[in-house]
Amino acid sequence: MFFYKIKLSLVFCIYRKGRISADTDADKLPANMEAETSSKEAESSIDLLVIVLDTNPSQHIVRQNPQNLTQILEAVIAFGNAHLMQKAQNKLAVLSCSHHATNFLYPLPRRQVELRQVDGQYEAFSLVEKTVKQQLGSILMNAPRLNGPSESLLAGSMSMALCYISRLQRNVTSGVKMHSRILVLTGSNECASQYMTFMNVFFTAQKLGIVIDTCALDKTLSLLQQGCDITSGQFLKVTQLEGLLQYLLWVFLPAPQMRHKLVLPPPPKVDYRASCFCHRELIDIGYVCSVCLSVFCKYSPICTTCHTIFKTPGPLPIKGKKKKKTDKQ
Amino acid sequence: MADTRTGRHAAAAGSSSSGISALTQSPANLECKDFQEYLRTRQTPETLEKLYNYPPICLAVFRELPEIARQFIIRILFVDQPVPQAVVSSWGAQRCAKEQTDATSCLTALNVWRVTAIPGGLSAWELSPTFKKSVRQVLLGGGKPWPMTNTLEKDSKPRDINFLDTYAMSRWRCVLHYMVGTGSRNGAETEAISPDAVRILLHANLMKRDERDGITITRQGFQFLLLDTRAQVWHFMLHYLDTCEERGMPLPECLSMLFQLSFSTLGRDYSSEGMNKQMLDFLQHLREFGLVYQRKRKEGRFYPTRLALNVTSKEAAVAATLTTDEEGVQESGYIVVETNYRVYAYTDSPLQVAVLGLFTELLYRFPNLVVGVLTRDSVRQALRGGITAEQIVSYLEQYAHPNMRLVESAIQSKSCLPPTVVDQIKLWEMERNRFTYTEGVVYNQFLSQNDFVTLRDYAQSIHVLVWQNERTRTMVVQKNGHDDVKRYWKKYSKSGG
Repeated sequence: MFFYKIKLSLVFCIYRKGRISADTDADKLPANMEAETSSKEAESSIDLLVIVLDTNPSQHIVRQNPQNLTQILEAVIAFGNAHLMQKAQNKLAVLSCSHHATNFLYPLPRRQVELRQVDGQYEAFSLVEKTVKQQLGSILMNAPRLNGPSESLLAGSMSMALCYISRLQRNVTSGVKMHSRILVLTGSNECASQYMTFMNVFFTAQKLGIVIDTCALDKTLSLLQQGCDITSGQFLKVTQLEGLLQYLLWVFLPAPQMRHKLVLPPPPKVDYRASCFCHRELIDIGYVCSVCLSVFCKYSPICTTCHTIFKTPGPLPIKGKKKKKTDKQ
Repeated sequence: MADTRTGRHAAAAGSSSSGISALTQSPANLECKDFQEYLRTRQTPETLEKLYNYPPICLAVFRELPEIARQFIIRILFVDQPVPQAVVSSWGAQRCAKEQTDATSCLTALNVWRVTAIPGGLSAWELSPTFKKSVRQVLLGGGKPWPMTNTLEKDSKPRDINFLDTYAMSRWRCVLHYMVGTGSRNGAETEAISPDAVRILLHANLMKRDERDGITITRQGFQFLLLDTRAQVWHFMLHYLDTCEERGMPLPECLSMLFQLSFSTLGRDYSSEGMNKQMLDFLQHLREFGLVYQRKRKEGRFYPTRLALNVTSKEAAVAATLTTDEEGVQESGYIVVETNYRVYAYTDSPLQVAVLGLFTELLYRFPNLVVGVLTRDSVRQALRGGITAEQIVSYLEQYAHPNMRLVESAIQSKSCLPPTVVDQIKLWEMERNRFTYTEGVVYNQFLSQNDFVTLRDYAQSIHVLVWQNERTRTMVVQKNGHDDVKRYWKKYSKSGG
């Protein structure tokens, strides 16, 4: 067994290339036919939007000004309702993600509370607003005390969103199409410790055809940026929190199927570095286990993931390899 | 010499667009309008503006818009100044320019936005203030609550969804039974429908008054029966709305209430408190058609039924019933179609047999089963009657027996009918459309063969020649090429003569 020291971003580049060529094949379909069917289909399909909202109190923007969280929440509710307004069959789910747990804010599994309109808002929309606010309030009240900043469990929340989507997908009867996407709103920092979970989520989403969009409120998140790129979603870093709703409505409201019809911000250059398994740091060049493909920044004789024992590194003797082969024969 | 100015042209017969439609399809076909078309054709900008004062109508209008138009509206909803047209057109991708122009023209036609000038001489789009206000209210709240949302004390005997579904269907079937005249014959279970409903059926041309046998169903009426229930309700309600002004009911309020019902939650009770007399009358009519359930006429509580929900869009209704956890009780299917074109219908209802008889040849009739076969003749007869292949297929699909949906091929494809049968019905329809119609202008009475040949060759060279006959010196050119050919002829005859 050997350790291979390779440039990690290269692997993804190669992987990406394969995907792009596959995409262009699909583009070769007759353009008008595609457009005709797609617009018809778009009207009859169900669009499911799952919003993952980071409510961790140790986010920088929240610590700076607690009012910001309220503002974000208002924008998210209005955005969710705008999504529901597009088509009668659109669906919405909102998850809150914190440092200790992930909770559903909407919809709730049990029967909805009896609610009467108090103003001109559409009944279904006020239901969303009331439920989300109530639910988040009770979660925040019951949250355990925080000792020092801790990171949000974003990857976990996203896997929960994936589970929810696949459950709904199973209930959809034949003949009806459902397009799902996940929108992550977070002001948290990069969390390299969840690297593996993130990658699993991204590739699962890609396989299920679920688009991941990310709206970064504070920092640029290179991992989530990778996720958006892999699932061909949108990544946006918001610079002014005041205009958050308008940002959301512009960039994230159009369904992925119709985004090619609009001019949206071009994808930024994606940083495809992986994080090492030993120190959870993003590295450019590292050691990769030949058995389980774990990434390490320093050489170690035993792979911590699969416990394979390696020989000492060095320039690989080509002769040796040949010899081995002849031995086997 | 003046005589050489011949080559007289005359408009070819039957070239006007109305003439074409008269030839291709029988004039008295049932036309089904969607909501957008209804607003465009029936309403003036002023009345539209009045309608936009009602948030439910605005929400319905918004959902009817093309998807790009919806995005545009959302983008400028919170912008207070007019937005320059150049900016709006830069939002769409270049390769979907056509779709974008469609969207903008649709928004203009519905008076959702209008052109204004902004300083600097640019023209800009500005959302209609009433529409903007109403949509914002729907989305974010504020303003007055919609009517019928007053709080009620808990219903002691709440009605569940199954009950409402059966109630609605039985009410609606009353109307249908009346149309085929089966209600009166086997009497007992079906009730007669009110004069108002009859008036609407007459107004909608679904039935006509005959001296000999009273009121009978028309051809449109039969086409109406072939529609799915939701489309029937929508068509019926449109004609109801046409007549509601005569009866002293204000159209905007009726329309608003209809949409409010369509956006309400199934299985919930609403209050009729605070409604004026006209609206209470409207409610009673809706109750009669099965769109709402009310225990007693005077009770201040009613339940909307599935018929009222999502009246405007078929897909929404289908998708909504499929994804709700409660089982959607669609009308249970009873038709089995086999690949040998045989149709077995497990029914004893004269209504359903009558509808099936429109496009099948009925073979046997048993107490609970009717057997028919789809033949070329029977389908063509239906097509001659103005029924389309699409309608036949959708009818068979809608009432397909549950077991038809379990077949392997049905699970994979969208339709549960055998593909051969569907294709054949469509082919039978296409057989009838062998003519293509082109508008054109006839040129004849040329004085010399030479003139004719020159003009014909010119028309051919610019690809506008439709037909020509050298012996009779007659040629037909397309209408849009007429000007060119005429100009050429003038030039030619001047220089030649």
